[in-house]
Amino acid sequence: MSVWGALVGGFVGTLVLTTILRAASELRITRVDLPFLLGTMVTGDRKRAKALGYVLHFFFGLSFALGYLAIFSALGYAGWLAGAVLGVLHAAFSSTALVNVLLPVVHPRMGDPSTSADRVALLEAPGFLMLNYGIATPLVMLVAHVAYGAIVGGFIAM
Amino acid sequence: MSRDGTVCWLPIPSLDSASLFGSMLDAEKGGHFALAPDEPFEVSRRYLTDTNVLETTFKTSTGTARVIDAMTLQLEPDLAPFRELVRLVEGVDGSVRFVWTVQPRFGYGTETTRLSTRAGVSVFSSGNDAIALCTWDAGLASVGGGAVTGSFTVSAGSSTMLALAIAHQEPLVLPSRREVERRLERTVAYWRDWAEARPVRGRYRDAVVRSALALKLLVHSPTGAVAAAATTSLPEEVGGERNWDYRFSWVRDSAFVMEALLGLGCRDEAEAFFWWLMHASQITHPHLQVLYRLDGGANAKERTLPLDGYRGSRPVRIGNKAIDQRQLDIYGDLMQTAWLYAEAGYEVDREFGDRLAAIADLVTEIWARPDAGIWEVRSEFEYFTQSKMLCWVALDRAIRLATAGHIPSLHVDRWTAAARDVRAFIEERCWSTEKRSYTRVADGEDLDASVLLGARLGYVDASDDRLTSTIDALVGELGDGPYLYRYLSEDGLRGGEGAFLCCSFWLVEVLAQAGRLDEATSLMDGLVELANDVGLYAEEIDPESGAFLGNFPQGLTHLALLTAAAAIDRGGAAR
Repeated sequence: MSVWGALVGGFVGTLVLTTILRAASELRITRVDLPFLLGTMVTGDRKRAKALGYVLHFFFGLSFALGYLAIFSALGYAGWLAGAVLGVLHAAFSSTALVNVLLPVVHPRMGDPSTSADRVALLEAPGFLMLNYGIATPLVMLVAHVAYGAIVGGFIAM
Repeated sequence: MSRDGTVCWLPIPSLDSASLFGSMLDAEKGGHFALAPDEPFEVSRRYLTDTNVLETTFKTSTGTARVIDAMTLQLEPDLAPFRELVRLVEGVDGSVRFVWTVQPRFGYGTETTRLSTRAGVSVFSSGNDAIALCTWDAGLASVGGGAVTGSFTVSAGSSTMLALAIAHQEPLVLPSRREVERRLERTVAYWRDWAEARPVRGRYRDAVVRSALALKLLVHSPTGAVAAAATTSLPEEVGGERNWDYRFSWVRDSAFVMEALLGLGCRDEAEAFFWWLMHASQITHPHLQVLYRLDGGANAKERTLPLDGYRGSRPVRIGNKAIDQRQLDIYGDLMQTAWLYAEAGYEVDREFGDRLAAIADLVTEIWARPDAGIWEVRSEFEYFTQSKMLCWVALDRAIRLATAGHIPSLHVDRWTAAARDVRAFIEERCWSTEKRSYTRVADGEDLDASVLLGARLGYVDASDDRLTSTIDALVGELGDGPYLYRYLSEDGLRGGEGAFLCCSFWLVEVLAQAGRLDEATSLMDGLVELANDVGLYAEEIDPESGAFLGNFPQGLTHLALLTAAAAIDRGGAAR
């Protein structure tokens, strides 16, 4: 288990996760766009938001991989299967708390259910399990994060 | 809010959520918050000038008192309830004894409501929702039958306050009276500042500001979507089956929304609305759904509720089956919305541009198909004239957007050819030489007020004889004083309906466009008089009784008022 393994795994895993989400979007299964959600935290310019969002997305992808490494180090075991299990937890946490609750609170352009009439949000909030972005979004998120977790786990074990 | 001081409709936490108070749709099961004198009274109402805060004045044999009702805004970072309904009672002269009852019924009256008392405060709860009833000088409360009741007397100079602190997926926040009063004051000030910031002057200033304030409340703040109306199942015919849920955002309304928001100087709302519209329609791209949920969702499954309905008008529906219909006019509405957005100086980025171009391509393929039309008829699909006119608008705006460099111009030739074909179809098959009017459907003779929309969006030139004679034919066949029926033809539903108020405003706008300003102004004056006591409109009106029909307040009617007033202003300025 090494930091370099985690970072390479985090990079490849984020690449695959992003590809799965984008493919699902192109297939009109979901409207979720994590880089866009992250980028619009910094700027309201759509073009710049997307570019900046990918940088932030990979930054978070690498950061989470280091988190995976910490967990595997504590467990004394790493592997693609363990990574996939962590990916399930990661997807559940992201869809129910991280992106559903925390993101609308800190995102300057996103509303949440308590937003009142004196404000208007530029971006719709993801909602529970990110269902606002399409009914199949939870499934897509799950698949993408399991893939990410498996890749990160696999690289860390190498 | 009914005229007798009862809160009879309140969905929580959002406009499209299940109701907490729904006695409007079922007096027994729906739940309500009543607050009124306990003796016979005369009542008058108004909004506090340029606000969304209601003042109801009760006069009794013993005195006069007023009730100020508001949903307060969270304008300061202090800890406030998730939502807060405030009812402030002030004595004006003499003394008035009030009685009040709070009887919430969660989930449209279908869920079990638990009532308990915590630290002297009555708390109603169900699932992850809860309400605390906070009262100050409102008399001793008694509990029974799932309701809390009380009575008090106010005299000149004294006041009483009741507030509902509402929690959704979080613990209750219990405010002090001082905090509630401060929020109420700031809410009044906020609305006045907001109204003052609107660039509205002229003959219809008050009606326009009221419509703007109503429109602002139909904006779903968390996403920027604009709801068609604030209610469900208020009937188009009392006792009939034409009862629909309008708490969704219709693409049909989008061009009006964009035009109105930009005209009112609401640029943040306009941008948020366009982003919402483009994001919501992404999942169905390049096809458009008739409507989308306020949170951007693309499903609105229709079902009925076991409620009596407004004055026995059943069924009570939530969700809307029209979502599955094919309506071709909405492509024109979307492209017009995009054109207005781009013209206002907003950037249409590459992704949006590609999608708009793809939608124009789609229109070239589907314009000749029959559809359900703007009125969402539940009879057989037809070749509706208005749908074809709006397909022409879609292609015309796509060409304009491409020419201005907002969207790819690769297929402009295809769009131009298709627009020519659409126009030829309309001019050959949707014109009645007998009635000298555009007809409702191709090869038909019936008329439909919706063709006015084609005119207002430039399909027919203002000086065209066909427009002039169509206006006269519509007024002759569908008109009834200031009222205009949308059509008199079969639509697949039993029963009848009232005159459509938005159609009358469309007529005002088209008359003004055609240079018939005196007629437009005269009609507009009459329409402004039709508003209810607080300046609001429903979808329809019964020409005989003057009673409103359909959901309320109706966004499209207020939007049509806004664009009609603007057209008269433009016409007056051009004179």
